[in-house]
Amino acid sequence: MTLVNTLFNGLSLSSIILLTSLGLAITFGLMRVINMAHGEFLMIGAYMTYVVQELFSKFFPEQIQSAYYFAAIIVSFAVTFALGCIMEKFIVSRLYGREIDSLLATWGISLILQQAARSIFGTQGVNVNAPSFLQGGLNIGSCTFSYNRMFIIGITIFCMLIIWAVMYKMNFGRQMRAVMQNRPMAQCMGINSKKVDMITFALGSGLAGIAGCSVALLGSIDSTVGQSYIVNSFIAVVLGGVGSLTGTVLGSGIIGFASIIFEKYTSSSIAKAVVLLIIIVVLQFRPNGLFTIRSRSLDE
Amino acid sequence: MKGIKKQGNNITFSVIVIILALIPLFYSMGVISSTSTIMFLGKCIAFSIAAIGLDLIWGYTGILSLGHGLYFALGGYAMAMYLKLQATGGKITEFMHTGGLTELPMVWRPFTSLPASLIMMILVPAAVAGIIGYFIFKNRVKGVYFSIISQALTWAAYSVFIALSPYTNGNVGISEIKSVFGSIKGDANLGNLYLLFYIALAIMVVIYALSYILVQTKFGKLLVAIRDGENRTYFSGYCVSRYKNVIYIISAVFAAVAGALFVNFNGSITPSQMTISYSITMVIWVAVGGRGTLVGAVIGAFFINLCEYNLSSGELVNIWQYIIGAIFTVTILFFKGGIVGVVRDNIPSLLSKRKGVSR
Amino acid sequence: MARSTAVEIKNISVCFDGFWALTDVNINVKRNTIHFFIGPNGAGKTTLLDIICAKTKPTKGSVFYYPENSDGIKLTGMKEYKIVMEGVGRKFQVPSVFVNLSVMDNMILSLKGHKGVLESIFYKPSKQELMLIDETLEKVDLLDRKNVIAGSLAHGEKQWLEIAMQLVQKPQVIMLDEPAAGMGKPETFKTGEILKEIKKECTVIVVEHDMDFVKQVSDRVTVLHEGKVLMEGTCDEALSNETVQAVYLGRGGERDA
Repeated sequence: MTLVNTLFNGLSLSSIILLTSLGLAITFGLMRVINMAHGEFLMIGAYMTYVVQELFSKFFPEQIQSAYYFAAIIVSFAVTFALGCIMEKFIVSRLYGREIDSLLATWGISLILQQAARSIFGTQGVNVNAPSFLQGGLNIGSCTFSYNRMFIIGITIFCMLIIWAVMYKMNFGRQMRAVMQNRPMAQCMGINSKKVDMITFALGSGLAGIAGCSVALLGSIDSTVGQSYIVNSFIAVVLGGVGSLTGTVLGSGIIGFASIIFEKYTSSSIAKAVVLLIIIVVLQFRPNGLFTIRSRSLDE
Repeated sequence: MKGIKKQGNNITFSVIVIILALIPLFYSMGVISSTSTIMFLGKCIAFSIAAIGLDLIWGYTGILSLGHGLYFALGGYAMAMYLKLQATGGKITEFMHTGGLTELPMVWRPFTSLPASLIMMILVPAAVAGIIGYFIFKNRVKGVYFSIISQALTWAAYSVFIALSPYTNGNVGISEIKSVFGSIKGDANLGNLYLLFYIALAIMVVIYALSYILVQTKFGKLLVAIRDGENRTYFSGYCVSRYKNVIYIISAVFAAVAGALFVNFNGSITPSQMTISYSITMVIWVAVGGRGTLVGAVIGAFFINLCEYNLSSGELVNIWQYIIGAIFTVTILFFKGGIVGVVRDNIPSLLSKRKGVSR
Repeated sequence: MARSTAVEIKNISVCFDGFWALTDVNINVKRNTIHFFIGPNGAGKTTLLDIICAKTKPTKGSVFYYPENSDGIKLTGMKEYKIVMEGVGRKFQVPSVFVNLSVMDNMILSLKGHKGVLESIFYKPSKQELMLIDETLEKVDLLDRKNVIAGSLAHGEKQWLEIAMQLVQKPQVIMLDEPAAGMGKPETFKTGEILKEIKKECTVIVVEHDMDFVKQVSDRVTVLHEGKVLMEGTCDEALSNETVQAVYLGRGGERDA
């Protein structure tokens, strides 16, 4: 059943793109900060997974080796969350309302983080061993469903649920949306907007960390791993409509499935290019993405 | 005094040009120790031209393109294809053989003659920029959306270039080529190097002068008007998208010319010149030098590349990335005007303090 | 259609995400008059201007424009810059001048014609055009600030500059969104006198809250409320109308009303 396989591959690729885009959907979509270092946060998450794996193999007995991955998810999130806090405090907080400048300033940070990775881990890629319970796959008929790809789909759904819960079910989410929509007004209502900004940005960064932890399962990690995901992520957010979480899900799905389908007919790099071109054409007709709110505000 | 202030930028540019023109003298005096430094300065001239183009579209018009590496590379490849065919005598290259081609492909045919190559070098980037710009600007894609799309386009082009390796030699790019005037390596070919160098310098002066005149015209004022209030410009009766497209094409052509010069000095071109990070590096030159002033673009291109040239040899190579990252972030955060901005804001007050004149 | 009509707003409705900002609005603006759109906040006044100049697309209906000596033109569906070239100018609520250009450059860019790309490269303003600019700047007291960067002007001066930029375009219809906002009484009065003068040559549509100003210059007033036309008439008729009073007073907090 090649159709089932195609569907599964499409779903898998979509979930990876979605996972790497979720953080952007928050920092770019909600906060309107173009964080070019987002890919590097993802890289940090991936390297953290590697570090935790190495630590486990040194200090812990054989039996619980596989548990390293769960520790790695937590560590990746924590580290990138903390870095996000620092970056918000010293850099991003000065750039609200200056989208283009935020893009450029964070690019400088991205250069620094990439070099730091090269200095610490070397230019050679490092590899993460998938924990034993994620090795292999489920065979049904002629179809193979690899466990780690299924796991990534699971993590993506889990992250989605968390974001949804935070944004729409918790008081913090309400404050967050209030601040992003109208900062001065929210301040007048007694919301500590600085704190909300910082946590929101850190949350977006932390999600990049988790995404990094997941992509570590898929291939070798080097200082450029973030760059290879970031273009698709930005396009997914823009295609879906900036500021719409549903849109980002849809955007990631379109890119993921389209890439898999085109790859059947041509090489993967040409497929990537074709998909991007098609999306750019689509954006000509819907410059603000697929999910947009027609607003009365004079400045778009 | 007022004249100096007004013409300060042009005077600074003239000083840079004069220093560059005296390079052969410095070499014969021993101030510059090797010809590779001269080649490097030639590349800097090429970078300055690209920076001027980028400044026109970003500094003046407010459109941030993260894809000018594409145009730089298109110009560069056009030149490299001609030079490669000169080297092989118009015959099929080795990488084409390896890629399974038996005769020179159609796309390479025009590059057997220099005039045709030069025309392609201008025409291809202009057409690409024209088509992309036409749709993107007509549909009012702007701000960061434009930046993200230009970045994605560059990435797509990069993938295609690598995938078409029988025609482009993929990752390796086109190498083992001489300049238009023959080899420029070593003291024996110093004459060729100087000829190339002066021609590059002349092209830079022409491009600077054209850009300077352009920004003084009503067209130039309109670019600033579009940057400051795009909607207002529409409501003053201007078809803003057409203006944007024209300046986008102009800046793409400048980048292509820069790429072609670069290939002559560099002796090779690879798709890495087409990447997003290379494109943003160009933006760094403009930002650090001072966006919105033409001389700022030139200063930035020379400053960053000179720093890199001197720092990135030996042990400092690792530190260089930290430095450039930090310079860039700090410039954007605190010195929006770049080097030119800092000088312009501080020199007058320093001068007046010395003369004891209150301003 | 009688030739006395300059702008005809026909069955205009506009919907923003389920919210009807305007429903079935019909207004005729007569040539060489000063026509006011007034109404409480959110009545749809600015949206109506946006629709005339094609900043916003209407959900239903269309707007027609009748230039003095030629056939009527359907403005709905046209590009905004073409509408401007046809002679319909617009001043925005927030003063929007080109802040990094001099007052003179702002005026030159606003001159009628010469909007093409090639033209703009080789264009030099003629003697008459320079005179026109000087005259217009004189009118709004900005002549001595000709070479100042527009961004350094005071708020009121920017308003004047924007009005001057509209005038120098020689429009047949000029739309002003709160021209008196941020101006003191004397300046407001002066703005009114300028409007009275320019209506000899063109039609003026104004959105304004300041009722003294409305009384001073209006020929005709359309009262909008919640996206509908409440009434149309002279200023006095509007002020004495009971529904209008109820709308304004009922809402409360509306300044000068």
